[in-house]
Amino acid sequence: MKRIFLVMMSLLMVFSCALAAEKPIKIGAVNPLGDITGDQATKAMKLAVKEINDAGGVLGRPIELIVIDDEMNPAKGAAAIERLATVENVDFFVGGMGSGVHLAQVPILKKYQKITVWIGAASHQAEIAMGPDADWYFHLHPWDYQQGEGYGVGWTEIVHAYPNVKIEKVFLAYEEGAFGTDSYTSYIDLYEAAKRGEGSWKEILKEFKGASFKSASLGGGDYRAMLNQAKAFNPDLFIWAGYDADAIPIVAQAKEVNFQPPLFVGAPPGWPADFGKNPLSENVILYGMWAPTLNEVSPVAKHFYDAYVEMWKEEPATYFAPLGYTNIYFLVEGIKKAGSLDKNAIIEALRTIEYESPLGEVLKIEPSRIIKNQGFKYQKILQWQKGRQEVIWPLELATTQLVYPFKFGK
Amino acid sequence: MEKTNKSLKKTLIAFIIFLIVVGIWKPLALVYGIQRGGLYSLIGLPLALILGIVGILNLAHGDFLTLGLYIGYIFFNSWSIDPLISMAPLFFILFGLGMVIYSILIRRVLKAGHLNQLLLTFGISMIIIELIKIIWTTRPRSVYTSYASSSVTLGNMSIGMYEFIYPAMAIAVLVILQLFLKKTRLGQAASAVGQNPKGAEIVGINTNVVYLVVFSIAFGIIGVAASVMLPRTPVFPLSGNPYTLKSFALVAMAGLGNLNGILIGGITLGVAEAIVQSIPGYEGWSDVVFFGILIAVILLNAYRRPES
Repeated sequence: MKRIFLVMMSLLMVFSCALAAEKPIKIGAVNPLGDITGDQATKAMKLAVKEINDAGGVLGRPIELIVIDDEMNPAKGAAAIERLATVENVDFFVGGMGSGVHLAQVPILKKYQKITVWIGAASHQAEIAMGPDADWYFHLHPWDYQQGEGYGVGWTEIVHAYPNVKIEKVFLAYEEGAFGTDSYTSYIDLYEAAKRGEGSWKEILKEFKGASFKSASLGGGDYRAMLNQAKAFNPDLFIWAGYDADAIPIVAQAKEVNFQPPLFVGAPPGWPADFGKNPLSENVILYGMWAPTLNEVSPVAKHFYDAYVEMWKEEPATYFAPLGYTNIYFLVEGIKKAGSLDKNAIIEALRTIEYESPLGEVLKIEPSRIIKNQGFKYQKILQWQKGRQEVIWPLELATTQLVYPFKFGK
Repeated sequence: MEKTNKSLKKTLIAFIIFLIVVGIWKPLALVYGIQRGGLYSLIGLPLALILGIVGILNLAHGDFLTLGLYIGYIFFNSWSIDPLISMAPLFFILFGLGMVIYSILIRRVLKAGHLNQLLLTFGISMIIIELIKIIWTTRPRSVYTSYASSSVTLGNMSIGMYEFIYPAMAIAVLVILQLFLKKTRLGQAASAVGQNPKGAEIVGINTNVVYLVVFSIAFGIIGVAASVMLPRTPVFPLSGNPYTLKSFALVAMAGLGNLNGILIGGITLGVAEAIVQSIPGYEGWSDVVFFGILIAVILLNAYRRPES
């Protein structure tokens, strides 16, 4: 009897071990699915999960991705984290897009302190809210101030590489909401630093001016007064920080008021569906983390692009797609390196791995102003040429030469 | 009647003086204001028509405008039909849509009280926005026409020509509407129904037919507005949404049933907005000025009414 009991107990233990081994590692993602950024980031995450599971999973266990739509609503974003932690019992949090939503999520993330790898929320307000002690928090998207610094580095290198390019006067047109005003504040800081002979813009920036506009996304759409101010300032570099809905009307209205700066830069989080097809897009410069043309210089970018198109029968159109893919792979590489689900071991592993991402560069973790675990630092400088986004800077990833000065497409 | 004419003359004189002063002070603001105000008037007219005659505040007004923009975009993208040419089919498509919406939904709540009517049109608005998101996503789309950014240079000013189509269309629509309301039997019946629906019913006017036609014509005008906006407007799920509030504000400013007032009010608000936007550092105040003027006019009207 005793022997039968022991045999049964052993069988039960073996069986439960086998079950545990197959139990998936749960990753909870919160993305705005109604928006192209969240939609494509989620699709890319699912692609990464499929590839990882097809290759045998991690630690011998499959990955399960649970996605909740935050609908770009802070309350829903916060509730999504709560649900993922308590109902779904996820092991990790990933995803993210808007800073406003993330600000509402930060207190909940702090409550559960699970390892979180976040790809959105560029506002430094989110970094302040997260604070310096959250060693479990990894932020991959560059913060707003890092982006401003990065552009200074980029334009300075471009001025050196292209002797005919001059960038002394910069005009920033910014949408009057939080995104635009944060950008303006960042540029003011950079300009003040440049005046003191500090920061990444110090070598080139001599004069700076800004004006706000009401984004078409928020009921505006008439930029002509702002463009006339910019025209009167006669900048070498004109940047507008608004939304994708502003992209075409701003160029069209600039053409209308005959404002043709030598460098015309747009810095929206995403671009309209058919912007590249529009003749007005020709030679417009943009800031972004990725462009499909990176396929020509990065095998990882090409693999991601082809796999995404094959799986979803659509092209990735926003950098949040490769960022979402990176989100999952980076986390899984960390788990793999740690060899267990031990929180401290994974944190340590994530801090030391170097992941070659489809964004064309290697992802390494370094501290930023406040948090300990910051991923990418800079965005890239790209230019629309014949309907394609070409990489201009970093120079080592450049897919073509800068077309200068800017002229309106016919 | 004489008092009304005098008041109208005074308003017109004040309006013209206002435009002249702005023209001398800030000529570009005057141009932009007339153009933008023309657009506000063009979009406000159908809302005023429905509110004045059918008595329903259509909270989905701007969302039907968005729908018109998407239909125009499809015409352009799928069949390369210029937005100004697709104006005619858009008028009839939206006219038909208006007939369907009225017959299936609006007709049922005509006697259900204003709150239910508001909730119904709000519900329609939400459904349109969400359906658009599902079908086309939130990603903006646009059409390219070379004429949309054409301009002429006067001195050191470069003036865009396309947006003059907005006040021109607003005036054309207003004239046609006035002719319809005054010169046709159906139009006269509509005016009668707008003033006194019960009385109109007693004298044998089929109010239901009048409402159906007026509602559909208003929707057709929304289609026209969408097609003239399309060359200059990004198309996304909330493209037209902000115009609901602005149109309602215009109607409130002009007074119920005052279609001429929509044109004057629209241009006044457009010019006021353009002046604020042209002052460096005060660009963000345009909405404050827009709704500030609205409140001032409503208060002024309320003050004048007891006197008269």
